[in-house]
Amino acid sequence: MQALMSFESAPPYAAPLRFFLTAPLFAVLAGLLIAFEGPDIFVSRWMPAVLAVTHLLTLGFMLQMMLGALIQILPVVAGANLPRPLLLATIVHAGLTSGALLLVGGFYFGLPVLLNSAAVLLALTVLVFLAAALQALIGVPSTSPTIRGLKLAMFSLLIVIALGVVMALAMANGWPLPLPVLADLHAGWGLGGWAGVLLAAIAYVVVPMFQLTPGYPARPSWWYPLTMLALLLIWSGAVLVDAPGLVRLSQALAALAGLAFAGLTLRLQSKRRRARADVTYRYWQLGLVGSIFALFMLLTAAIWPAAGELQGWTMIFGILLIGGGFLPLIIGMLYKIVPFLTWLHLQNLGQAKVPAPNMSKILPSLDMERQMKAYTAAILLLLVAAVWPEWLSRVAGLSFALASGWLWLNLFGAIRRYAEYKVDIEAKLAVILAAR
Amino acid sequence: MTHAKTPYVVDARYLEAPEPFVKTMEMLDHLKEGEKMLLLLFREPHPLYKVLKQNGHAYETELLPDGTFEVLISR
Repeated sequence: MQALMSFESAPPYAAPLRFFLTAPLFAVLAGLLIAFEGPDIFVSRWMPAVLAVTHLLTLGFMLQMMLGALIQILPVVAGANLPRPLLLATIVHAGLTSGALLLVGGFYFGLPVLLNSAAVLLALTVLVFLAAALQALIGVPSTSPTIRGLKLAMFSLLIVIALGVVMALAMANGWPLPLPVLADLHAGWGLGGWAGVLLAAIAYVVVPMFQLTPGYPARPSWWYPLTMLALLLIWSGAVLVDAPGLVRLSQALAALAGLAFAGLTLRLQSKRRRARADVTYRYWQLGLVGSIFALFMLLTAAIWPAAGELQGWTMIFGILLIGGGFLPLIIGMLYKIVPFLTWLHLQNLGQAKVPAPNMSKILPSLDMERQMKAYTAAILLLLVAAVWPEWLSRVAGLSFALASGWLWLNLFGAIRRYAEYKVDIEAKLAVILAAR
Repeated sequence: MTHAKTPYVVDARYLEAPEPFVKTMEMLDHLKEGEKMLLLLFREPHPLYKVLKQNGHAYETELLPDGTFEVLISR
């Protein structure tokens, strides 16, 4: 039985963990940059520091976590085995980490050489990942909405990175491109097509599994990824033929699709059979509510563009969707994945002769709950700071850095305990084997 | 619990890992040659598929409108 429980194809512990431990540091950096810049950072989304903070969070935190988690879970959720997972993790982690730092530095200091090298490095890194994922998924039929969602999300990632590379090169080399329109499209593909569809594809599996809710109904689950992709293609076409009305229509419909998914997930959560609301559940509630507010703002601005021009509108939208939406959803999942993964590796080490410690000893609930409260407070402070930057921007930035640092500490604690238990289990195992 | 496809059913839809896996392997042990069992889950159990293949069990999966995956497994 024990041999059956261990997934031989699962990558070693070190493969995903390097991503999980690096990502929070990018969030710390984002918080520190907000604190350092102070009120000025809330003036416009085109400020170099805002571009830097946005990409610290989307590339440095989100993409880092997502690719690390995918390397771990593709065999489990899709039956797709990545070739040489540890080598892939090493290359992707190194490329993504240095590429994100170069890009953020390029934005912040306005240095073309950094932007150029970031564009090349990030393009190569994502292509390496996508090539490996393609090789793993190509023979896997889309037997579930999850597998179809994963494939469509990866197609979106290709578009996101292509648009991003073109814009970075345009900024660095002064190409005459309509950057604001392209930036919206890049964000749409990144947050809607890649992150949003990937999140849904994974949610179909992990929401019922982690929170003991009913399953996602099959029909909308099949359609959600396709609808999102179709709307993004229409949006892209509308940009190409310069049809602003069609751009707004596709944005409004994408917002509605996202709202339907978030609303459905909240409804499933309300029917869960787990009595106690654990930290994953609460982080998901925060993430869903944050996304719903953000998507309502997107819908409003698509119908009534003047709203988008209001002071602080774009900042609040970004804080809600990224800081209050995607990040909490990702951290919520991480707080299940890391203890489980640690437990699984310890369990395998014990060879069914020495039991692994309980998961709550690997990452105590209290540590996670306190960190979640600090994180929620930081998001609220950031929202208030977007309205009254003079008052709170530095405090909000510092508190975000603190909450993200706390996340790092919690994850590091799990890895430290893994090392301690590993020594303990190996010693006990040696005694048992020697006594035979 | 029984089902039109087979009287041997593991309804693992609200069970935590690794219970669905353990219960399925236990029920497979009790089946006679030629008998089939049904596993109900809200996800496709890819790690279980791998074990089933290794042990020579045939299986067939159907996704129902409510999001239940019905996995019909032969002994």
